[in-house]
Order: sequence, then C-alpha cells, then structure tokens
Amino acid sequence: MQFLRVIWDTLRLQMKNSFVRPMFRFCLIINPVANTILIYEMFRNSGHDNFGTFVILGAGLMALWGCICFSSAGDINRERWSGTLSMIYTAPAGFQVIILGKILGNTLLSLLTLLISFVTARVLYGAFFYLPSPFLTLFSLFCAVVCFIVFSTLIAYLLTLSRKTTLYMNLIEIPIVLLCGFVIPISFLPPWIHPLSYILPPTWAVRLLRLSIQQTGNAEFFATLAILTLITALYGAASLLLYKVIDKQIRKSATLEVF
Amino acid sequence: MIIEVNEFKRTYTTYKGWVSRKKETVTAVNGISFAVEKGTIFGLLGQNGAGKTTTIKTLITLLAPTSGTCKVLGYDTFRQAKQIRPRINFIFGGELGVYRRLSARDNLAYFSNLYHVPPSVAKARIEDALDLVGLTDKADILCETFSKGMLQRLQIARGLVNDPEILFCDEPTVGLDPLGARMLRDVLKVLRGRGKTIMLTTHYMPEADELCDTIALIDGGVIVAMDTPSMLKNDGESLDDAYVRLVGKKEG
Repeated sequence: MQFLRVIWDTLRLQMKNSFVRPMFRFCLIINPVANTILIYEMFRNSGHDNFGTFVILGAGLMALWGCICFSSAGDINRERWSGTLSMIYTAPAGFQVIILGKILGNTLLSLLTLLISFVTARVLYGAFFYLPSPFLTLFSLFCAVVCFIVFSTLIAYLLTLSRKTTLYMNLIEIPIVLLCGFVIPISFLPPWIHPLSYILPPTWAVRLLRLSIQQTGNAEFFATLAILTLITALYGAASLLLYKVIDKQIRKSATLEVF
Repeated sequence: MIIEVNEFKRTYTTYKGWVSRKKETVTAVNGISFAVEKGTIFGLLGQNGAGKTTTIKTLITLLAPTSGTCKVLGYDTFRQAKQIRPRINFIFGGELGVYRRLSARDNLAYFSNLYHVPPSVAKARIEDALDLVGLTDKADILCETFSKGMLQRLQIARGLVNDPEILFCDEPTVGLDPLGARMLRDVLKVLRGRGKTIMLTTHYMPEADELCDTIALIDGGVIVAMDTPSMLKNDGESLDDAYVRLVGKKEG
C-alpha cells in the first residue's frame, strides 16, 4: 500500500513538473506534429496500403521516445540541480520506487504523442487509420509501454553515475530511433548493425506494434512477443542487479551531487 | 552513543586527461573519531573545505567512508543504510532541496509520503511544521515565488516531516534573516528538549556557543579540539576567539 502511494504521488508530481517545462511541451506537442508531417511526406509514395497507420505509429513512437529520453533521463539532472536528488536517494521509500513512479508518470503523459500524431495525420492529410485487430494493437502498445519503462529505468540508473547526463541523453535519442526501426525498418540498416538492434528491447516492441497492424500470421506475432517478453525481463533483471552495484558505487565515487 | 565515528577517512579521486589519465586524490577527512550522546546538540565547526559536509553526508548514508567506521543508531552507515534512513533527517543550508513548482504544503506532503508517514499523522505534522517555521499563510503558494529565507524555512519544515530521532543540519542558517535564524535556534532547542539528537555545522560562532553541548573543531580533515563550549574557551574569551586560537594557529 505504501509502495503504491509513493508511486501514485510521484507519478502525479512528475506529470505536473514535466508539463510545466517548455521543453517537455515541445517534445509532447510540437515533435509529433513535425514528425508526422515529415514521415508522411517521406512515405506518401511508398505504395503501402495502410501507410497512414505506419506513419502515425512511427511519428508517435518517435516523439514518445523523445519525451521519455528527455524527461526520464533528464530528470536525474533536474533533481541534481534542484538539490532534491540526495533527498529522494536517501528517502526510505527507496530510490528505485521513486524512479519507477517518475518514469511511469513521464511515459503515461507521453502517450499523448500517439494521439497528436493521429490528429495531425487526420486533419492535415485525411489519413486513414486502420487497425485490423484493435485488441492486438492495444495489447502491443501495452507491451511497448512496459518495454519503454524498463529500458528507461536502466538508462536512468546508469545516468546517476555520470555528471554528463545532458550529453548522454542527447546522444541516445536519435541512434535509438534509427537502431530500433521506429520509422525505417532495420532491414534498411547495414547487416553488421543488426545484432546491436536485436539486443535493444524497443526494436522488438516496435516490431510487435507493426505486426499487430499487418495482417500477417499469428506465429510471427507470438514469436516477437516471446522475444520482447524475454528481453524486457532480462533488462528488468539487469536493472535490479545494476541498481545494487550503482547504489554502492554512487556512495563510493560521490557522483550523486556533482555537476 | 547514538552516533559513533571511528578513524573515519574519506578521499575523493578524480581523473584528468584522455590519453594519459592522471589520478588525483584529495583527502577530505583524515581519520577522525568522535561520539555523540543521545538528546544533545553536537557542533562540528571548521573552515570551508575542512571536512564538515563530507562527515555529515557520510552519516546520512549519502557517502561511503574510504576507511574507518561510521555508526548511526548502532547501524553502519554504508552497509545498513536502510535501517538508518527512516529514523533520521537532514537540513542543508541554501535555497535548494524543495520542488519549486509545488506549494510548501504539497512539498511537505510528498516528502512525508517518501518517509512513509501515514496520511492522518502527516496532515497534523505538516500543519505543526508550517506553523513552527512561520509559513502557514504561504502554505498553498508555489515555492517558485518564495524568497531565499522562505525556501530555507521550508527546508527546515521538510527535515521534520518524519519526526526524526537525529537531525543533521549542515549550515542551516546560511541565508536566513536574523528572525529566521532565531526561529531555527528555537526549533533546535525544542527538539533537544524532546530528546532528539542534533548534529550541526555552522560558521556562526555565537550560534554554536548558544546551542551546542559539545563542539568539535575540524581543520584539514582532522579534529583539532573537542569539548564543551565553556571548556574550549579560556577565561574571558569568546568562542570566536577560541576558534581563531585553535584553528587559526594551525592555519597560520
């Protein structure tokens, strides 16, 4: 119960704090609009039957990742600058629980990007949004959200070790978009890069979402779901282990409050 | 003893350069030992960079000792931090440490939650803390509109949300106006009267003289003197004079 209260309060605080930041509002509202226009123009002549749906999902996911990246990762820095990082780090509620609440708040608020992408494509281009199996797409979206939360948690933990948080969060945004096939399928990337894509959980989340809107067989969908579940669980376990190491390392190297 | 520090040493290591990395080690605290009795105010005084903040940050479980041991409430501050954290709190000087886009009341409610204070208890405690620091009438205003002194008062209130057994105060009156500083001193005296233990660092000697039961003078990471304020002073001497005599002598 205490755990849930901390999560709920942190989630609400995070949404409130994030939304008042102009940078977050830019990522949340302007980014998906710009992404949708650019990607729509790129794919306009692709010849794909349901390309509007791909554009909306691609643009929305890109903006969603941007929001998560600049808020979940950047939050460590913001807490550091506001002098509250040491307070939440030593709070009995547990740093892990507080970080989870923050990431949940950011991710749930950031889901608006998908709606904004849809509205943009619909209003500007009259784009058609067709979901052959709405339940499968909703389920895939849920899996993608869980995957993003776990992935962001790992990144947030790693960034507590460094004073170059801003640099790293800027460095990871676009490479993840490209490596995980948010917009352009990873088959377009050189083969030697593919292993790197495969070990990143968002690759499988994006693929699952794509499969849910393609009328392909169930076998491929469930195989992708199994890989996504496994890789997300591995990242989750790695996060837990990493936190134990980081918890000690932060206090040994005194990196928590350095800028 | 509620706090026990034994041969505590803390160094900071930095690396410079990309090709030939150079390691630089700075010793902030060099093998200090002291103990604090329950229900007393213990003052740690010293120059900037003397090792006061490093000592406090280690005792509040934020830093690991490089060597030696630090125990709070009988628990090791590095290995048993979880047992210590719910029972202590800390106030750092300056205007940081609160969420500026929340009101004072929302800040206190959030931190109460992080300290697992039941909502029914937290509500009354928050009202008491706001009243104690004179922020009741500003409780619902966003903190971004607060003055430095008001933020500092809110920090003090935040340090009380879990009714801590030990309160660590690192230069808590920095930036406070005379009335605010007096208010804090009164709060600390009330807390001592309730059996709480307080560890305080300050540069303001009259404050240390008025509040502390024991004072340790730290310089260059080592304790140069430790006693009651009256024992540290020679006849007719102020604590300021005693400080200059004991620390200044070494500095010179």
